[in-house]
Amino acid sequence: MELTSVVTPGVESGVPHGACLTAFAEAVLGTDATALVAARQQVLAELGPAGLVDAAAVVATFMQMDRIADGAGIPLDAAFVEPTQEMRTRLGFNDFASAQNTLSVVT
Amino acid sequence: MIDVSYITAPCPVRADIEEAHTFFWQKLAAPGTWWTGAERVAIGAEVRQAHHCQLCQERKAALSPTAIQGTHDTGGVLPETAVEMIHRVTTDPGRLSKRWYDDLLAQGLSDTHYVEALGVVGRTVSVDSFCRGLGLPLHPLPTPVAGEPSRRRPLEATLDGAWVPMVPNGQANVIRALSLVPAEVHLSIEVLLPIQYMEISEVRNLPSDPGRAISRSQIELLAARVSALNQCFY
Repeated sequence: MELTSVVTPGVESGVPHGACLTAFAEAVLGTDATALVAARQQVLAELGPAGLVDAAAVVATFMQMDRIADGAGIPLDAAFVEPTQEMRTRLGFNDFASAQNTLSVVT
Repeated sequence: MIDVSYITAPCPVRADIEEAHTFFWQKLAAPGTWWTGAERVAIGAEVRQAHHCQLCQERKAALSPTAIQGTHDTGGVLPETAVEMIHRVTTDPGRLSKRWYDDLLAQGLSDTHYVEALGVVGRTVSVDSFCRGLGLPLHPLPTPVAGEPSRRRPLEATLDGAWVPMVPNGQANVIRALSLVPAEVHLSIEVLLPIQYMEISEVRNLPSDPGRAISRSQIELLAARVSALNQCFY
C-alpha cells in the first residue's frame, strides 16, 4: 500500500478499488450529501452490496475508535513508537494535535 | 423491546451487525455504571445535537477551539461539563487536550462519568455513521429504562500515561482506554470490533483476513483514511 494515499487525496494507494473506498470514507465524514450518494453508488458498483455494508462498518468502527483514543488521551504503545517514527514524520502524523499525547511521553 | 432494524436498507445488512446495534441500543437505554438510562440516552441525543450546535461549528472552523467562547445548543438534560465533553468529542476529537480534560474534572465531571460518556459517544457516532454510510435515517433513540447505576470502579485502575486511569492488563492502550468502566470495554471493544472490524487477536496479525466482502488491505486503507481525516495520531 502506498501510505501517502492515506493523507493525500488522489494518490494511488495500490489497493484494489482503493480510490472508491477512500472517496467513500471522505464522503461519510464530509457534509456534501451529493458526494456521499455518488461515493456510495460507486462502492456498490465496484464492490457489491456486501462490500458496501462492510465498508460502512469499518468507517463506523474508526469513527468510534478515533474518539476513544483521542478522548482518553492515550499515548501510542511504547513498542510502536520507534518502528513508526520515520513513517509518522513522513506522513505528517506528528503534526496532528493528538500527537501531543504520545510525543509528550516520548520526549 | 428495543430493536434496531435494517430491513429498509438498500442492501442486505449482516444479521450480526443488526444484533449488535440492537444490543447497543438496549444498553444505551439501561442504567450504566455511572449514568442512569435517561442520562445515557441524553448523551446519545447530545451527540446528534452537536452536529447542529453553532458554538461547535465556530470552534471547528477556528484555528484554536479555545479561542471561541459561548454556550452549546443543548437538550438541557445533562450538566454543562458533560455537554462540553460530548460536543467536543463528537465534532472535534483530534484537537482535544489534557488541559481541556483537566478543566472538565476541575469543574466537577468525574473521571468515571467521563469514560462512560466517552464509550456512549463513540458507539452512538459509530451506529449513526453506519446509517449515514448506507443512506439510512438514524435510528430513533430508545426509551430509557429506570434504575440505578452500579457505581463500581476497578480498584486496580491507575494513571499510566493516558489522561484517564486505566486497568494495567497488558493490552494495547486503545483496548484498555475505557477500562475504568469495564462495561464500556465490553460494548465498544469486545462486541463492536469483531463484528464491524475484526477479532481483536487478529488486528496485529497483518496477513490475517477476517473474511469480509472487502479484503484486509481494503479494510486497513479505510481505517487509515478515516483516522487521518479525524486527525487521530494513535
